[in-house]
Amino acid sequence: MTHRILVVDDDDALREMVGLVLSASGYSPVFASDGLSAVDVFKAQNPDLVLLDIMLPGQSGIEVCKSIRAFSGVPIVMLTAKGDTDDVVAGLEAGADDYVVKPHNGAELVARIRARLRPISDDAGTVQIGPLSLDPKTFEVKRGSLNLSLTPLEFKLLHTLAAKPQQVFSREMLLEQVWGYQYKADTRLVNVHVQRLRSKIEEDPENPKIVMTVRGHGYRAGSETQ
Amino acid sequence: MISLFRKSLTARAVLTTVILGGISVAIIGSFLSYSLANSFYQNRLSQVLTETERAVDSVQTTIAASSLSDETALQTLLNSVVPSLEITGGSAPRQVALLRSPGQGQLQLFQSPISQNLDLRSIPDELRSEVREAPGRLTYTPVTLRSEDGDVPGITVGTPIAIPIAGSFELYLVYNLAAEQQALELVQNALAIGGFFLLALIAGASFLVTRRLVAPVEEAAEAAREISEGKLDKRLPEAGQDILATLASSFNKMATSLQTQIERLDALSRMQRRFVSDVSHELRTPMTTIKLAGEVLFSNRSKLEPALSRSAELLQDQIERFDRLLSDLLEISRYDAGAIVPEFEFHDVRAVATAAIKSIEPLAKDRNTSLQLEAPEEPVRAEIDARRIERLLRNLLSNAIEHGGGKDIKVEVGENSQAVAICVTDRGVGMSRQELERVFDRFWRADPARQRSVGGTGLGLAISKEDASLHRGWLQVWSKPKLGTSFRLTLPKSKDAVIANSPLPLPPRGLEA
Repeated sequence: MTHRILVVDDDDALREMVGLVLSASGYSPVFASDGLSAVDVFKAQNPDLVLLDIMLPGQSGIEVCKSIRAFSGVPIVMLTAKGDTDDVVAGLEAGADDYVVKPHNGAELVARIRARLRPISDDAGTVQIGPLSLDPKTFEVKRGSLNLSLTPLEFKLLHTLAAKPQQVFSREMLLEQVWGYQYKADTRLVNVHVQRLRSKIEEDPENPKIVMTVRGHGYRAGSETQ
Repeated sequence: MISLFRKSLTARAVLTTVILGGISVAIIGSFLSYSLANSFYQNRLSQVLTETERAVDSVQTTIAASSLSDETALQTLLNSVVPSLEITGGSAPRQVALLRSPGQGQLQLFQSPISQNLDLRSIPDELRSEVREAPGRLTYTPVTLRSEDGDVPGITVGTPIAIPIAGSFELYLVYNLAAEQQALELVQNALAIGGFFLLALIAGASFLVTRRLVAPVEEAAEAAREISEGKLDKRLPEAGQDILATLASSFNKMATSLQTQIERLDALSRMQRRFVSDVSHELRTPMTTIKLAGEVLFSNRSKLEPALSRSAELLQDQIERFDRLLSDLLEISRYDAGAIVPEFEFHDVRAVATAAIKSIEPLAKDRNTSLQLEAPEEPVRAEIDARRIERLLRNLLSNAIEHGGGKDIKVEVGENSQAVAICVTDRGVGMSRQELERVFDRFWRADPARQRSVGGTGLGLAISKEDASLHRGWLQVWSKPKLGTSFRLTLPKSKDAVIANSPLPLPPRGLEA
């Protein structure tokens, strides 16, 4: 099946060009040209991934991101014109999974999309970590009988950590295993998503019991004893 | 204690005042005490002399009035004279001695009448000889009277007296100055106590005065500190017309003018940042489209006619160059606008150097150049923005490869207690002194005639220099024509530290010649 990708960008030429690149790579693009229509198009088309420009007329990409996250965990990759500003963090905190800095080339863009659409390997079984149980088949995370709703990225992050409890994962390892970066990338991706994950699964996100910080090294999953 | 004096202006001022006051009080006290003692003595002396004169007169009158027939009558008379002298006169107790001058014939029965408790030591021999040589006059000397209660000062006055039958005598009256001594001591004590209280008063007064003067200065210092920390609207209260009020108003004027300047510059820099951000967005969007379109054309060039295919290749190359130029331009304008927010973290500098070398290896292989890393065994950790430092090293390496003429390029990593250093050295064409001076200038190229094969933008070293100063580090260069070029980057181990010297030499070892 071909994945459907929603491209939200106000620049007509770029939108069309990205569409061409996506089609050439075997994806089926759908389009929205501003922030206000983006959510409607999303609901109508039910895409598998969203490519979202941050600077949009009407409603900014960050707000669109929040609106989509309110009801869907579909991967969102931001397109940002600025590599090192607050925009990136704001977008990640709003729920974007990853970002690509303009001007990017086609291969880079497709690699990011492919990484986000790659499923968790089938042979992964149910994993138990602390009071949580993770089922990779259904993407369900349960605390007792309570169902926690995680985005696929958050699920993959938690699953990666929980599959090897007590092992310390550096941010670079997580970027490689969860985000699919072969080469060094922005470690803020990890920091922001660990925060988002904690706010969903921890009883007290300020005082985490499941995803622990290992100062100077990275993160690990596990009970407080080590 | 010492540090208190070094730190506190007030403590220093009070201490100085007290020391100077103490010296003054001591001088005045000594002078007063000395002149009082002197005047006490002079007073008593004139009194003593008057009394003695009277006593001598009375003795002479008594002797003249009596008709002395023999030694026994003389002895009786003199024996009565001495006690009478002891009690007459205003100032109590005086002692009397009537001594026969030596060098006369011995008298059979005569004994010199002397007051009972008179210590003959209080009539020194020098005085006696002086007395004998000054007939008709009173001669005196200050003496020390020894008693069980301690020594007291005294005056001994003497005069020669001629007595019929018996010959030359000397009459001595010894006066006790204990009362004067006591009075003097009383006054000295009073002076000492007064001096002490005066000193305390001086200390208190100087403390109060200094506080009054120093407090506004301290306030100004505190305000200056706050302003330097960014509270630009901090001002001093202005009251009165004195020099302190002038200080406050000048300070406030300075602060206001600073604030206006800073706010103006701030607004300018905000505008510039805004401009950079807008340009960035406006340029990057079409750039992205162009890049994607160029790629599509380039990857399908085999389907095109030869001329179109070659055009697609040229287009692709120039798009890449334009892309690099654009991102370098934007980076340098971000530096100019002060819009760079570095992300400092502790990293192993060796790993950063290795990553830079790895990323440049395809280019090195292309130019048949080998890259050699010399680094310590142990991790070399420093608080750096690894992304920027890696970019900087990549830039140095790409320059070294471009100008290295295919010879080996050495990358050295070193550290000392406060700094780390990375040295990139090629043995290529090198640069002349004039070229060296311009090497960090924007868009400057070592050799404009040479083909731009590696495709630098001309901004690389300018950005590298900015990256180094962002870390409070140094980027230095050494070069000699035909010998080679060496760039040395020195960074503090912790981002707030200041570096004093670099762990690696420049020029590097083996290249000094």
